[in-house]
Amino acid sequence: MRFLRKWFKDAFEIMANELRQISRDGGLLLIFLGAGLVYPLLYNVIYWNGILSETPVAVVDDADCQLTHRYIREVDATRELSIAAKCMNMDEAVRLMEDRKVNGIIYFPSDFGEKVERMETATLSIYADMSSFLYYKNVLIGTNFVMLHEIGQIQVERYSAAGMTGKEISQLVKPVGYDDNNPFNRAFDYSLFLISAIMMLIIQQVMFYGMSMLAGTQRERNHSIASLPDKLEGHGVVRVITGRGGAYWLIFAGIGMYVAFIVPAIFGIPQRGDFVQTLSMLLFYVTDCVFFSMTWSTLITRRESVFLIFLSMSPICLFLSGCSWPVIAFPKFWKWFSYIFPSTFGVQGFMNLSTAGGDMAAAQVQMRSMVLQTIIYFFTSYFAIFVENWVIRHKEEIRERQDALAKKVGIDREEDNRIISGDSTASVR
Amino acid sequence: MIRRELRIIRQRPVYIVGSVGVIAFCSLFFLSFLQKGLPDDIPIGIVDYDNTSTSRNFFQQLDATQIGQSVPYETFAQAREDMTRGKISAVCVLPEGLNSDIQANRQPKITFYINGLYFVGGSLAWKDLLQMVNLTSGAVQRQVLRMKGYNDAQIMGMIRPVDIDTHQIGNPDTNYSFLLSGMLIPAVIAMCVMMILIYSLGAELKFGTSRHHLMPSGGSMGPAVGGKATPWTTGSSATGFLVILLLYHWLGFPIAGSVWNMFLAMFLLITSTEAVAILILEMIPIPRLALSVGALFSVLNMSLAGFTLPTEAMPRFIKAFESMFPLRHYYLFYSKEVVFGTGFAGWWKEVVAFIIFYFLPLLGIRRLKNACINQNFPKD
Repeated sequence: MRFLRKWFKDAFEIMANELRQISRDGGLLLIFLGAGLVYPLLYNVIYWNGILSETPVAVVDDADCQLTHRYIREVDATRELSIAAKCMNMDEAVRLMEDRKVNGIIYFPSDFGEKVERMETATLSIYADMSSFLYYKNVLIGTNFVMLHEIGQIQVERYSAAGMTGKEISQLVKPVGYDDNNPFNRAFDYSLFLISAIMMLIIQQVMFYGMSMLAGTQRERNHSIASLPDKLEGHGVVRVITGRGGAYWLIFAGIGMYVAFIVPAIFGIPQRGDFVQTLSMLLFYVTDCVFFSMTWSTLITRRESVFLIFLSMSPICLFLSGCSWPVIAFPKFWKWFSYIFPSTFGVQGFMNLSTAGGDMAAAQVQMRSMVLQTIIYFFTSYFAIFVENWVIRHKEEIRERQDALAKKVGIDREEDNRIISGDSTASVR
Repeated sequence: MIRRELRIIRQRPVYIVGSVGVIAFCSLFFLSFLQKGLPDDIPIGIVDYDNTSTSRNFFQQLDATQIGQSVPYETFAQAREDMTRGKISAVCVLPEGLNSDIQANRQPKITFYINGLYFVGGSLAWKDLLQMVNLTSGAVQRQVLRMKGYNDAQIMGMIRPVDIDTHQIGNPDTNYSFLLSGMLIPAVIAMCVMMILIYSLGAELKFGTSRHHLMPSGGSMGPAVGGKATPWTTGSSATGFLVILLLYHWLGFPIAGSVWNMFLAMFLLITSTEAVAILILEMIPIPRLALSVGALFSVLNMSLAGFTLPTEAMPRFIKAFESMFPLRHYYLFYSKEVVFGTGFAGWWKEVVAFIIFYFLPLLGIRRLKNACINQNFPKD
């Protein structure tokens, strides 16, 4: 009992100490508060509309008949496309596309009308600018929907010419109907899937950068994140981990709730999930991120170097979350690689729970994985602290080894230092 | 000057890891991750309440498509739950009496649900299902018309009076990797160039070596910054050229124009990004803060280049900033050279834009010099 009380007291002290350190470090506060609070808003604004509408296309109408006129009018009326130019020939249209004035071309060959009259299949051509898939998608969807509609229209005319009656025709034209629903993301809105993923990713990345910066700073000042308070006499690594983790956990529970509940409310992103369930998912995720960051931040030796190496992990983590490229198409290796990051599960869990409005069962796999991850990372950060302490104790030895190695390959480290910083300044590592 | 920089690089492995290492890793990642080009065998749940030859046929046909893969479900509730979980991309319900309704001309309805939150999977599944339903319709029509005594050529004209011939300029197979790797890897290069240059210039301020850094050039800032940037420019251009060669030569990504012009684009991207990096450090000679701003700039660079969501779809006051980002100009250059192959006539404006970036560092060079000499800014 006494032990427990002391345990909590120690852990609490370490936590308070960590919080004090964070609050004294202006740069860190900037990252936590600036990045944590501003990035979510910024991304929401960028992807506010999220839908590309009225993509401009050029039309080359060599057939010039009633049917093509109707077709063009209908294309112009779709949400996806708008007719920006009517060109005399393909050259003109191609030039417009190369200038990015239009992103697609619709071409009706001269025999288009005749073929329809002759009851043959008339083919029109579309050309799409593939410099963005959304251009292609719009050109494809816009023209295809009009095509389906036109097919229906023409069929009605033909069958009635063949002597069928209204009911018969409708049965023949549409023997099987369909009803398509996209309940979670009606118009394939870019913002819905990307924003949910980015929001969760921000939590992980900001925490990781922040923690690494603090780790780096302490290294520079020859402290160590691992150094145990003297009075603990070398025991109590768990207390240190829990205490330090608790500090970040507190901060990011706040930022997390802001990101998961307040920001979506501001921008009208649907929150279909149950509040308590989403919240508990979020807190598991934050816990996971804490130990993830604690483990990996031990690799950082300088305050700023984390940006150099790990900034490019952000887009990679985004891909690994499976929000755009489907998980089923992941190469095996990268699928395993994605299990390193809490964001893989956090993004999916948040999407299933909050954006799609599932219940806990919908995020079961993700929750389990996060718990497992948390346990593993807890032990790795435990282990990292031991390694860290060993390194501190053997600093001199390592230094000598490095110098010896440098001499072996013919690098004179002292000479280097002199050239880099002059005689006046102390050595630069 | 350059020799001094090379020695610094030799001393600190983070420089090499942060530049060549990161670029190599990211190239490897994107190229192998998107290797397939287009995902196939997207799982689509089929709830078959009909259980006739027609519905089983539908199941098999969908399974046989390149894009889709059918997964059988007993009840809609199960399928719907798995869709919410993201396990399957769509659910398709074949209603009871589908077969008999078709035979009796009662126009049954096939219902499907898409999970549009998993974007690529969802939209591909949607496309596949639409196609399947239309094919089913066509098959029924053909049967009826055959019974009415039309021949196959007539029937084809009747059920498909209009057809579309699709041409995808610059990417005939809708290969995601062509566009995404083609843009994301240069984006990562720009990111590394930005961060490394800020870091290495900032390190002089931070460790108080900036005065010494200025000495060989006799206190003039131009050669000092130039000497610092030269090894980086050379190194990253070499890496960049390798990437271009890798993409458009060895891996055979389609390119309408010439690889040489893309070398130029890559060089312009790298140098103009360096100019922005120098400007950022001039305005904020505090290494840590400058790096944070550089990071922000780098991630915005990716969004505002507009190769995923085109900038036309962004709010106007965001789109207004697009020209500030070098990657945007690289993207425009890319679309003209790689997609259309217009050559100089198409992209000269982008070159002008890139060159304008070169003048940016002049704005604050005095400020940086003062900071270097007085070292009067916080160091961390």
